[in-house]
Amino acid sequence: MTAGWRKKAKGMVLLAFLLACLLLLSGCWNYKELTDINVVVGVGLDRTEEGKVLLTVQVAEPGSIQSTSGHRSGGEGPTKPVFVVSHEGETIFGAIREMLATVDKKLFFSTAQVLILSERLARESLEESLDFFQRDHEVDYLMNVLVAKDVSPAEILAMESDMDTIPAVYISETVENTSYRGTGKKTMLIDVIKDMDCKGKQPVIGQITKAGENMVRTEGLAVFKEGKLVGWLDPYETRGYQFAMNDIGSAIVNIPAEEGKMSMEVFRSKAKIGVEFEDGEPACLMVKVRLEANVGGHEGKGKLDAPEKISALEEILEETIRKEIAMALEKAQDEYSSDIFGFGMEVHKYHPQYWKKSQDEWDQIFSRLPADIQVDAKIRRTGIIINPVIKEH
Amino acid sequence: MFGRIRNKSKSGRNNSEEIVQTGSYGPIPPSADAVKASLNEIFSNCCDFILREIACGKNGAIRILVAYIDGFVSKNELNQDVVRPILDFLANEESPGGSSIYNRLTDCIVVNNDIHEAADMHQAVDGIISGEAVLFIDGETRALVVGVKAPQGRQVQEPDTETSIRGAREGFVENLLTNTALIRKRIKNPNLKLEMMHLGDRTKTNVCICYIKGLANEAIVREVRERLKKIKTDAVLDSGIIEQYISDNRLSLFPTVGSSEKCDKLAGKLLEGRVAIFCDGSPHVLTVPYLFVESIQATDDYFDHAFFATFMRLLRVIALTTSTLLPAMYVALVVYHHTVIPFKLLLTLAASQQGIPFSPFVEAMLMIVAFELLREAGVRMPKPIGQALSIVGAIVLGEASVAAGIASNLMVIVVAITAVCSFIVPPLLRASMLLRFVFLIAANFLGILGIAFVAVAVFVHLCKMRSFGVPYMAPFAPLTVNDLKDAFIVVPIWAMITRPKILRQQENVRGAKGSQRQEVNIQQ
Repeated sequence: MTAGWRKKAKGMVLLAFLLACLLLLSGCWNYKELTDINVVVGVGLDRTEEGKVLLTVQVAEPGSIQSTSGHRSGGEGPTKPVFVVSHEGETIFGAIREMLATVDKKLFFSTAQVLILSERLARESLEESLDFFQRDHEVDYLMNVLVAKDVSPAEILAMESDMDTIPAVYISETVENTSYRGTGKKTMLIDVIKDMDCKGKQPVIGQITKAGENMVRTEGLAVFKEGKLVGWLDPYETRGYQFAMNDIGSAIVNIPAEEGKMSMEVFRSKAKIGVEFEDGEPACLMVKVRLEANVGGHEGKGKLDAPEKISALEEILEETIRKEIAMALEKAQDEYSSDIFGFGMEVHKYHPQYWKKSQDEWDQIFSRLPADIQVDAKIRRTGIIINPVIKEH
Repeated sequence: MFGRIRNKSKSGRNNSEEIVQTGSYGPIPPSADAVKASLNEIFSNCCDFILREIACGKNGAIRILVAYIDGFVSKNELNQDVVRPILDFLANEESPGGSSIYNRLTDCIVVNNDIHEAADMHQAVDGIISGEAVLFIDGETRALVVGVKAPQGRQVQEPDTETSIRGAREGFVENLLTNTALIRKRIKNPNLKLEMMHLGDRTKTNVCICYIKGLANEAIVREVRERLKKIKTDAVLDSGIIEQYISDNRLSLFPTVGSSEKCDKLAGKLLEGRVAIFCDGSPHVLTVPYLFVESIQATDDYFDHAFFATFMRLLRVIALTTSTLLPAMYVALVVYHHTVIPFKLLLTLAASQQGIPFSPFVEAMLMIVAFELLREAGVRMPKPIGQALSIVGAIVLGEASVAAGIASNLMVIVVAITAVCSFIVPPLLRASMLLRFVFLIAANFLGILGIAFVAVAVFVHLCKMRSFGVPYMAPFAPLTVNDLKDAFIVVPIWAMITRPKILRQQENVRGAKGSQRQEVNIQQ
């Protein structure tokens, strides 16, 4: 029994030794400490006139953001929460590595909150530029993508912010709050990639502009066609588009009311789009929106004491929203001839035969079709008062 | 290591020779003087050995020797029940002694109930050393062994190691008979069997196998007997020694023999059909078979509301996982898998890492070893100093090391959580302590992948193990659906109708039906 045991023990010691070798000799695969990386929070992509890539990165300095642990390093160390570096290169990946000539540690991209594209790059080569961001394993597909209008990405990234220590976080937070207003759109990298791949829908990307010394505005949309920027939608058109796309969380719609204005708080909205066919040919674009709203404010003198008045308000609200949707649709049809709504997808789904033969000229067909926009609004509540509190004269 | 094992087997053989020697004290000589000489030789240089000669009868013709170990027997009892009656009744005895006196002693003189005969010197010596008084009568070749053991050791009190909010406060003590009485008190049934045996060639420790006949699987009881008999050692000082000898997998970090200080816990285990092993001198009673799932069970679970008990079970599972894996996971995330850390947390982590001269692995090692040092010091040092230690420990580990820039805030938190969690599942404390280091090393070299490797190895090991023939990971592997009622979830006690099926008891159903059938068995 002792001999057998000894043999077994020997075998186990040997096995343990080999396992240890396996662990130790393989080296430290991908070993990288947190102090050895630069935490990229914002990426800007631009294209120079010579066709080179101009890459801008905003990098956070964790030590100076965390004031609690900052006291340890004393007065030394970085005092600014972020630094911004730009580099010109032939390719994006190339530029990232070449940037290390000026930056101390390797750039780490998973933490990037925003990817800001310049107008020039968007007009010339969106698809080519996004290839690296699809291919690299470090990139977070959920980061927000924006197109800068009338300003370069480098400028936006170089701005300091009063609202958040990290400007990129401030930008991405303004994008997040679009669900309360509907005048912008949160476009994540994965959405753009999906739309780029889809024939029945053209991509749109949220728009960012400069709003002041150190403020940005994320309103409106950039409209693309076949991978290239073709134009913009203004905030109201954007809201119409969002209503049609069933992408409204909540929005305040102002409507004229008797003796003043009213702000309606849309709190629930359901939308469906479709294409009506007649004799095997598309005849009409359908947009159906059903929404519920509350009276959020009444800046006027009228009274809301009768149900008829509420239904009259509902009609006005329906008309206002219908108009916004129509504006967005008309612009997409007439001006850009780009099916950003994804009517093509509906055709693909319900009329595959037709789609097969006409998908290549779908944009022209889309532009010609008349539209039927139906909005059904219900006003649920008027807040905790019924009539404005106004002294009778 | 191997040399030691060889030595042990050799010494085992020597011991068995000694046993033959000790067995050859020979018969009891009829002459009191010869007995006296013989005993004085056997117990030479034993200052606690007392041999008293009583001369009674007419002219002191009847000579009786009383031999015992001082401090071991209750002198009061000995005097009241043995010596005084002898002096009273035999004062005027005329018969010359011998067998007739022996018979009179057993029949109508010695008051004590616990008397038996020693046929030879060996049995007589056994009686003396196990704390009984032995009477030798001149002219008689039998000795009378009278059990007048003094109650010894501490009182029954609440065990320090296993405290519970709900349930009995009584814990086992060092005295075996007190312990068995505590169990008898709870299970009033003659089917509760207690089989005594002596282990250790020199210590002759009383060891007792306890089980409920008609409930415990006979094969397991047999196996326990076999394994105990196979123990070849000269000293059994604690049940821990028995545990190491009878474990199925002696090298495994995971216990395959349970031990408890709580009476109600042990009674519960016996009623599940397990076998207990009492060891004289140890308050820890062993139970077999011991399965993994028992380490997350506590007596409170059965006395409390089932929902709460289930919650506590889940908490214990979480604590066990956390205490084993947390430092490793932290290191793996911080040095390999930055992509899975949420952005804001990453900033916090990166900030806390700044200015730390060590790699997270070294940092974790330092902190964990420091904690283990403190823990061990807390166990060893006198209780009054404990408080000073904990203050120093808290300041050194928590505050000063961070302020000095040796460890990061988060590492302190990680080690603190690990430490707290490690105390929640006491039976696996040592296993998780050692595995923590293994996981940590694997995490530093291969990240989550390394953790996964080690975890797979640990699970393979666990699933392979058996405790007295019962799969260690039951009821999970093999899946015993019936037994899951008392694993991660606890069903109310009234719904826990059957005993753990995996133990293959003779009676699986608890309650009236089962016990009735048992009674019929007895009648047969």
